[in-house]
Amino acid sequence: MLTLPATIPFLGWTWNDLLFLVLAGGLLGSALFVVLGRNIIHSGLWLVVGFLMLAGLYALLGAPLLAGAQVLVYIGAISVLILFAIMLTQSKAGPARLVFHHQAWAAALAALGLGLLLVIVVGATAWPLADGSAQPQTSANVASALFDDFVLPLEIVGVLLLAAVIGGVFLAKKDDARESDSDI
Amino acid sequence: MSNTLDAYLVLSGLLFSLGMFGFLARRNAIAMLMCIELMLNAVNLAIVAFGAFLPPLRDSAAVIALLVMAVAAAEATVGLAIVIAIYRNRRTPLVDEYSQMRE
Amino acid sequence: MGDLHFASVVPISATVAPPGSEAMVLLVLVVPLLGFAVTALVGRRLGRLAWAFAVPGIVFTWAVAMVVVFQALSGAYGEALRFTVYTWIPAGALHIDFNLAVDNLTAVLLIVVTTVGMLVHVYSIGYMAHDPGRWRFFAYLNLFMFSMLLLVLADNFLLLFAAWELVGLCSYLLIGFWYRRRSAALASKKAFLVNRVGDLGFALGIMAVWTTVGTLNFPEVFQLLPAQLASGAIQPWMLTGIALLLFCGAVGKSAQFPLHVWLPDAMEGPTPVSALIHAATMVNAGVYFVARANPIFSLSSTAMLVVASIGIFTAILAASIALTQNDIKRVLAYSTLSQLGYMFAALGVGAYVAAIFHLMAHGFFKGLLFLDSGSVIHAVHEEQDMNRMGGLWRKLPITHATMLVGALAIAGIPPLAGFFSKDEILDEAWKDGYSWIWLVGVVVAVLTAFYMFRLMGKTFYGPSHVDPKVEPVVHESPPIMTVPLILLAIPSAFLGLLVGLPFGASVIHSWLGPIFEQADANLGHGEPTFAFFGVDGVLIVVSVIAAISGLVLAMRLFGFHWPFTRREIEPEPAVVARWTDRLRPLYRGSFHKWWFDELNDLIFVRFGGVVAAACWWFDVRIVDGTVNTVGRVVSGAGREIRLIQTGRVQNYALGIAIGLLIVAGGYLLFGGRV
Repeated sequence: MLTLPATIPFLGWTWNDLLFLVLAGGLLGSALFVVLGRNIIHSGLWLVVGFLMLAGLYALLGAPLLAGAQVLVYIGAISVLILFAIMLTQSKAGPARLVFHHQAWAAALAALGLGLLLVIVVGATAWPLADGSAQPQTSANVASALFDDFVLPLEIVGVLLLAAVIGGVFLAKKDDARESDSDI
Repeated sequence: MSNTLDAYLVLSGLLFSLGMFGFLARRNAIAMLMCIELMLNAVNLAIVAFGAFLPPLRDSAAVIALLVMAVAAAEATVGLAIVIAIYRNRRTPLVDEYSQMRE
Repeated sequence: MGDLHFASVVPISATVAPPGSEAMVLLVLVVPLLGFAVTALVGRRLGRLAWAFAVPGIVFTWAVAMVVVFQALSGAYGEALRFTVYTWIPAGALHIDFNLAVDNLTAVLLIVVTTVGMLVHVYSIGYMAHDPGRWRFFAYLNLFMFSMLLLVLADNFLLLFAAWELVGLCSYLLIGFWYRRRSAALASKKAFLVNRVGDLGFALGIMAVWTTVGTLNFPEVFQLLPAQLASGAIQPWMLTGIALLLFCGAVGKSAQFPLHVWLPDAMEGPTPVSALIHAATMVNAGVYFVARANPIFSLSSTAMLVVASIGIFTAILAASIALTQNDIKRVLAYSTLSQLGYMFAALGVGAYVAAIFHLMAHGFFKGLLFLDSGSVIHAVHEEQDMNRMGGLWRKLPITHATMLVGALAIAGIPPLAGFFSKDEILDEAWKDGYSWIWLVGVVVAVLTAFYMFRLMGKTFYGPSHVDPKVEPVVHESPPIMTVPLILLAIPSAFLGLLVGLPFGASVIHSWLGPIFEQADANLGHGEPTFAFFGVDGVLIVVSVIAAISGLVLAMRLFGFHWPFTRREIEPEPAVVARWTDRLRPLYRGSFHKWWFDELNDLIFVRFGGVVAAACWWFDVRIVDGTVNTVGRVVSGAGREIRLIQTGRVQNYALGIAIGLLIVAGGYLLFGGRV
């Protein structure tokens, strides 16, 4: 039977490390494309790729339930919603015009600064435990936590989702009675 | 590397910064919302990473991440509905052209 | 200094005064004030009878004042009548009462002020008969009488200063009575401003007195200041300083050098005003005050020397200018300056009684001369230039006669009043060792006689240069004007004989001597002696010769008509012109008042204008500039900062991000967590 060697032959990394690098690189790359993309439909699609990478990372971290939820919720629902909205708000002029504000430079600097700050903080802090033994999760544990300790937030989030759905439907539907051609 | 908490946190931080840059810099409203989703996902990643590396937190982390996802979904729904509603009036998805309430 | 208690320092008098005296003194003050109020309110509607309240009021005041004077001089008040009308300023350490006092010095001043005042009021009824503003005139005159009476009755420095300022105000109002005339308005401003300069020193002097002895009542101050000097509590230079500061006020009010420039210009006012205020009463306020403050002055030989020097210098300065002036009133104005200089010279050498005697005599005959000149001006239809008069003795007999009496009096010809008073001044000057003052005084006497009879010659004698259109209608003034002239001529002629005799122990000495005892003691004067066949006789002869020589010279040059005869001396304009040519520079200097006005203009108006312009520049550019710049910076900053409010959420979000970075980064990096 074909078995994978313990570490990658030339580099000496573990397979997990390689997987992590691939997923992380993909995530950052797709995020970059999302942010910098001219064509907004392309941005939306790159967002989907990013979500996928994230699902992989969750799996790598030993949370398969969350990986599945990520795919279902983000890719299956939110991304579809975003793509629908993009289609509905296309304007003719589209990608030809400016993608960024004038303040994009300042924003870039701020983002750069923030990133730097976070990296420094993370590096300088001695986290309590980092021994790498990532114990996988079980659904049973998650379920018991969800329905025992966090049942109140769960219910409230349910109500929140209900409100969001109703609100979204109401906001987005056409007003037949007051529809007019000209802008107000 | 994949067995260090630092790596995941750094990744989360970078993802958050990227999302913040996009949120502050893009003109299209929906692009801004997509960047908000990126930021939320970065936070989610950090939570799950903490849960993975700190066993006492594992279950709580998973639950919190799930709830964050739900809230993100609700927020995306309403935000996109608002953008669509505005688009109907203003015929443009570009936020710097929404100037009715400015002076 | 303000903690000294004075309750036991001065005995309270008024126990010896006859009943009703205080009420009479108050009446003397209140009636003119009421006259002013009533005339100001209803005078305009009274038309020709605008004087109906003012003049009878003053006549009544004169009568009451004469009663008061009689009581005072006959000794019914003891040393003095002092009383408090009401508590004026009860402010802790600063306690000033409305104090009035009548002693012999006040009594003498009352005689002059009320008599001349009354006669001027009556005269004005005729003089101002055609002026539509006469209701204002009588109102102001009454206000002036009130102020002047308050001045001589006041018993503390502050009340005197208040009255001092009030007379200055009345002077301003009356000089500028014909306010539509630009020269009058300018002259009244000049008078007020120059007086203010003197008043500044005066006020400083009063404040110095207050800080030194803590009280402003005359009796207390005049006891405490010498006591403090004797005990060493104050230095001699402090006393001299106080005296000189107080003297500043007198310099301004009595128009001594260098503040003499306002008096000639004050002739812009109507002639009764010139007679009353600028000859007989207000300008005497300075002399009165220095006499009143004799305990202070007599202790400081420096101050006395300054007073005497300024006085005699003014005397000769003014006399030299009067020689060449052509306006009849200007000559009389400079003559007033000169005689006031005499009075201050007398005060400076310690001849207090002589100074007050001269004040009294001068009040009468200068008042007479001014009213006479008013009568002349009235007769020739407002012409004031003497070169356009002449030969008027025929047409204005009463005016001429009274003016001749006044001229003889001022020239110092015996037995008229001026001789007695002027001679006493010169006498004392010589005997106290101030021979240079005596010499200058004699020169001034010569000049005085000369210019007075030059005036007489040009006005009354010789051929007539009157405007031919006016000549036929020149006539004597109505009785309402000539009767006061006659009434004034009487004391001018006889006052000396009444109160100036016998020499050395005269009546007026007996009145005023006791008041100046302390000063005499300070100066080391003994009992006044008189040796008719000794020093005094020689001095009398010298001064009479001086006066007569000046008079004769003027008569030869300018003409004269011997009264009760037909003999005349013709004027000799050719001789005059020749001498004028020979002495051209002196003539020009004298004619131009020795250019003092131009000097003042240069220093204060032009140079002051430059300084003022610089201050204005500073105020506008730097002070205002700073304030405006602050305002501009604030509004500019506001305008610029407003640009942060873009209305765009993403801009705000960027701000939040940057803020977060700064706060978190700063805390982490500098807070030592990294």
